Amino acid sequence: MKRILVLSLSVALALAWGLPALAAAPVKIGVLVPLTGIVANGGMEMKNGIDMAAKDKKTLLGRPIQLVVEDTQVKPAVAVSKAEKLVFQEKSVALIGVFSSGVGLALAKNIAKLNVPFLTTHVMTTAFYGLNPLVFRSGQLANDQTAVGNVKGILATPDLKKRKYYVLVHDYAWGHDAGKRFIALAKENGIKVVNPDFDKAPIATKNWSTYISKIKASGADGIYIALITDVIPRFMKQATEFGLMKTCRLVSGAAPGAMDLENSGPAGVGIFGASDYAWDLENFPGYQKKAKDWNARYFKMYKAIPCDAAAHSYVGAMNLFQAIEKAGSTDPQKIAAALKGMSYDGPYGKVWICPSDNCMRNDAVLTETKVAPKNPYGAKIYMKVLKVFKAAELGPPCK
Amino acid sequence: MGWIATTVDIILNSLVLGGIFLIMGVGLNIIYGLNRVMNLAHGALYALGAYFGYTLVAVGANYFLALLLAPIVVGAVGLIIERVLISPMRKRHMIYTLILTYGLMFVIDGLIKLFWGQETRFIQLPEFMQHTVSVGPASYPVFRLVILIGIAAVVTALMLLLGRTRLGINMRAASSIPEMVSACGINVRRVQISAFVLGCILAGTAGMLAGPLFTVFALMGHDILISSFVVVVIGGLGSLRGAVLAALLVGFVQTLAEFFVTEMAMVMVYMLMALVLVFKPLGILGEGKFE
Repeated sequence: MKRILVLSLSVALALAWGLPALAAAPVKIGVLVPLTGIVANGGMEMKNGIDMAAKDKKTLLGRPIQLVVEDTQVKPAVAVSKAEKLVFQEKSVALIGVFSSGVGLALAKNIAKLNVPFLTTHVMTTAFYGLNPLVFRSGQLANDQTAVGNVKGILATPDLKKRKYYVLVHDYAWGHDAGKRFIALAKENGIKVVNPDFDKAPIATKNWSTYISKIKASGADGIYIALITDVIPRFMKQATEFGLMKTCRLVSGAAPGAMDLENSGPAGVGIFGASDYAWDLENFPGYQKKAKDWNARYFKMYKAIPCDAAAHSYVGAMNLFQAIEKAGSTDPQKIAAALKGMSYDGPYGKVWICPSDNCMRNDAVLTETKVAPKNPYGAKIYMKVLKVFKAAELGPPCK
Repeated sequence: MGWIATTVDIILNSLVLGGIFLIMGVGLNIIYGLNRVMNLAHGALYALGAYFGYTLVAVGANYFLALLLAPIVVGAVGLIIERVLISPMRKRHMIYTLILTYGLMFVIDGLIKLFWGQETRFIQLPEFMQHTVSVGPASYPVFRLVILIGIAAVVTALMLLLGRTRLGINMRAASSIPEMVSACGINVRRVQISAFVLGCILAGTAGMLAGPLFTVFALMGHDILISSFVVVVIGGLGSLRGAVLAALLVGFVQTLAEFFVTEMAMVMVYMLMALVLVFKPLGILGEGKFE
């Protein structure tokens, strides 16, 4: 009798202890971002954006959201093993984040084995269009979209239109893709490019002096770069030291990182390019209210300047969270099906995932970095919004 | 820009790059020559020099004052490393100090990330150094010319130290025949400590010179360490003259290759090293001391 009593008590205690825990078992989302290495700032901004989305959403399927963050070190092999850990060990129901096309493509190659939806917020290669039923993009503009935005921007700006461009990219999948996309579009639109085979700099390049000499020797008075965002201010600083920026204007295939821009000081001024977001959108009619609200909340939460990487990571995470809610379960196929056509109306308008190719379409901004006016975020350099492109202008058409 | 201006640009760029490699390579060789320590933390000390310099400038110190003070602080760190870590290992096989300094490199990297974070830092230069100046038909950054002058000053000071001072003469002698130097009543241990500290000061100097060039970031020491070892191997382990020649050679090969065959630039540098290892295993001057 005594034994039965003890047993019953133990079962009751175990149930009392375990049931609420079971009821509140969090939905785990694996977050893959670079937190070390040259793009650590960008990784931190992505992490902040995803974290902010989780805090805003609060629950998924009535359960708390738990973000499990891993550092990819921007290395494909590391990212794949971290993804395996997140899925098989941590039981994450989806993967989000990833900086660099090389890392993204490596992960996409392994997605069948991982068998969870993977939504990138930062991979720009066009190879992601319709790559795999479980692979999605809702984040930074793809290379073709950026190239369209930049070419339209160049054509609309007389001072940029008349220039001859030297194309310099980072030597990996994204850089090559971005270089080819820009050159093809430039050719179609009569923009002169002095090096159609474009220059490919190793990612580890810190000393840009030789490349600057090559640009000077080429006679170009415009530069189109597709360099990892955190590297842009470093390149600009050295180009300024050599006096190159006195004669050249610079168009970038990716938005510079907010913190790096701040650290570069006046050398960071004069970068022209298309991207999803800039905090200056809060001064642009039609976007003011949402952008201002998002900027203020982001700044309050992270004491950091609101930026493109954080904003599009926030929106990407929101699209994923909404898809999980819509799927009504954590089944990977159901989440993937729900992600097709999903949209989120965020700080830069509606971001919609095209069902036929799993990649987002959204409005985007054309910006130029300038010395910032007085602002609540303490930014010294900012991306001034020159124009807003509608999603249909950037394409590609969703079939 | 005409080809003469481009040539001037390439020559000056090569000298700047080679000069940084030179200070690093000579520092490594001085440490190895006297201590038989292959200091794998040398790159981390270079980074430390850049960060100390960045901090000094950020709190308002003049760049030149920071250029003077930062290497001294790195030298002090080097003294602590020598006394606390290297000295107890001195009698053991050099593999112990190799592993020790390899670990130390990660410790210093970690401390840098802890204190300064992951962000890229830009060292603010004095106003006059932010312009370009005409060098023949080319226009070249004043700052890079100042670096060249700085490198020349470091090399001259080093030559004077090694050639004209008692400490320098003792160092050179102890590097070749330590037993004889010891028999002459000279405190070899003190000479070895001085050499280690001098090597660290040189790493800090290179870091402070290169900081504004390449920007300051946590893992900046890793890239330069590899290039410095390439210089040491090509110049011959322990050979100061070889290191000077090799540094300039690597600077020129890398810059020229970057200009003409961009994607093959580093391949060319490593091919050069492989060729030297095959045909001149003791370095280009044949003065290497492999053990």
